[in-house]
Amino acid sequence: MSWMETPLLQRMERFLDMASVRQSLVSSNIANVDTPGYRTRDIDFEKEMQRAFAAPDSPPEPNVREIHGLIERPDGNNVSIDRETMLLAQTQLQFQTGIALLKSEFKRLTTAITEGKS
Amino acid sequence: MNLFGILDVSGSALDAERQRAEIVTSNLANAETTHTAQGGPYQRQLVVFGTRKPKLSLFGQVFNGSHKQNAQGVRVERIVVDPTPPLQRFEPSHPDADKQGYVSYPVINPIEEMANLMEAARAYQLNVAAIQATKGMITASLDILR
Repeated sequence: MSWMETPLLQRMERFLDMASVRQSLVSSNIANVDTPGYRTRDIDFEKEMQRAFAAPDSPPEPNVREIHGLIERPDGNNVSIDRETMLLAQTQLQFQTGIALLKSEFKRLTTAITEGKS
Repeated sequence: MNLFGILDVSGSALDAERQRAEIVTSNLANAETTHTAQGGPYQRQLVVFGTRKPKLSLFGQVFNGSHKQNAQGVRVERIVVDPTPPLQRFEPSHPDADKQGYVSYPVINPIEEMANLMEAARAYQLNVAAIQATKGMITASLDILR
């Protein structure tokens, strides 16, 4: 690990990766809100983060699974708009939090580089 | 999948919902059409949605080659014609009337069509919200450079 790769940066990278995977799945669920037979798909965010932290050098592919326990419509589609809009807002905020932390970490490194002058 | 690929997923839904709205408005516009190019009255049409693998540009494919594609877009798989037999109305003076004086009219329920149109509009709005969220994430990423 070089000095540029602080543990926080590495973790934030995984966090942002996971947030974009989730965003892609939420968008996919929303896009298919009227597709007959489509099943809601998502990742277990916390579990995936734990797996990624357990193997920081070779992060595993996230495990995408179908979500059970949602109300299914007669056409076999079980996308819940409430669930998806809530996750959409949540993922966006998570992502922005991650970016903010990343920026502060870079600022910290910059402070070290410039010997605290700026 | 990168963030730009997510825009493609939501974009495919915008396209599909717009096509659905087009078909519904065509049904409403032709609620009284007794004469079509194929002969006979206008027949009500319905869209059937199906999933679609998101399209990736060549540039995107290079960078996503190793990645598994999880997200699925949507597309209009086919347009089906409502097989309900046409409505017969007794109008002997109508140019499209048959020998008995009956005219075939399309079976279109405006309430059903309006409900369908509203559903398409709501789904469109929902996907626009998703695009805005993704756009916010892309803008936030660009913010790191500042």
